[in-house]
Amino acid sequence: MDKKTRFTKLITQNEGLIIKVASLYTNSQQDQEDLFQEIVFQLWKSFDSFNDQSKISTWMYRVAMNTAIYNLKSIKKKVNTIPIETSAYHLPDEKDKSAEQRIRVLYDSLQILNLLDKGIILLYLEGKNHQEIAEITGISPSNVGTRIGRIKEKLKQQITKTL
Amino acid sequence: MELEEMKNAWSEMNNSSGTPSRLTTQLLDQMTQNNYRSKINRIGQFEYMGSIICYLAAAYLLANFAKIETMIMQVFAFIAIALLLVLPIVSIRSLCAVKNINISSNTYLDTIKDFGIRKIRFQRLQKLNVSLGFLLMLIILPVFASIRGKDISQIPYFWSLIFPLAIAFFLAFAGWTLRSYNRMLQQTENMLRSIEAE
Repeated sequence: MDKKTRFTKLITQNEGLIIKVASLYTNSQQDQEDLFQEIVFQLWKSFDSFNDQSKISTWMYRVAMNTAIYNLKSIKKKVNTIPIETSAYHLPDEKDKSAEQRIRVLYDSLQILNLLDKGIILLYLEGKNHQEIAEITGISPSNVGTRIGRIKEKLKQQITKTL
Repeated sequence: MELEEMKNAWSEMNNSSGTPSRLTTQLLDQMTQNNYRSKINRIGQFEYMGSIICYLAAAYLLANFAKIETMIMQVFAFIAIALLLVLPIVSIRSLCAVKNINISSNTYLDTIKDFGIRKIRFQRLQKLNVSLGFLLMLIILPVFASIRGKDISQIPYFWSLIFPLAIAFFLAFAGWTLRSYNRMLQQTENMLRSIEAE
């Protein structure tokens, strides 16, 4: 399989991951599309240097999240996010509305977090364990656990305020 | 809603339909044919254009330096030429640093710190640029007038109205810009502190 075919397959399989990262760090549809393109470009650029010893998802998250940071216009504590474009996903019909509503509440709540916490919670929501989160973010696994505990508290308070 | 419920909602979103979206298909075609231009590489287009304008202005001043008669105007011209040559170099050097980043090997935490430090450096530099740009605007007008053989003091209301109004306008503009940069600087420093502290 040539490089182009392998890369296309990889992006096709992980398109959702890139959309989620792009939507979490932008505040307009246009910015989201721009960031999506930039992430795919950075993945393409570093595809040759990807080391098979590390998990492909670890490499993808690292490139995607780092690209998102360098694309920020300013480094405010809060990065206003836009709700994810739910049409890009395939939600079971009967669950569409409630799932969309829950996702919107979640995105609104994530606005209170700083950049590091936002990255950690993204990986947590993606089902990554402490070790993987530590590997991607560069903080120790025990610190990941402590931070997730604090973030949960912050989000709980925020969600209580919102609802 | 508890975080665990959120996690469930998040995972309910199926990550992939198995076929790429229209955007992805187009993008992959562009990229693999080397037709895509990175946004990061596009940074600085305006700065490059601005640099050309600065160098043209510096060349104009140099070419007409002999026409400037008074000593004070010659000193102003010399300062203006120096600023026109130095300011673009400073701006472009700071932008080039942003392009030489290693996105795939740095950890997320290192990236945030690096971005914050670069941002602080850039914002401080911009503050300096605004201040020096203000000085440049003040001194370049009489120099241009001198090159064209006009005595600036003979322009009606120049000292009584035009000059004070220009000063007031530029001071207000520079003050507003510097305040804005100070605010951004503060936000960046706070963010870095919040990460270091925990």
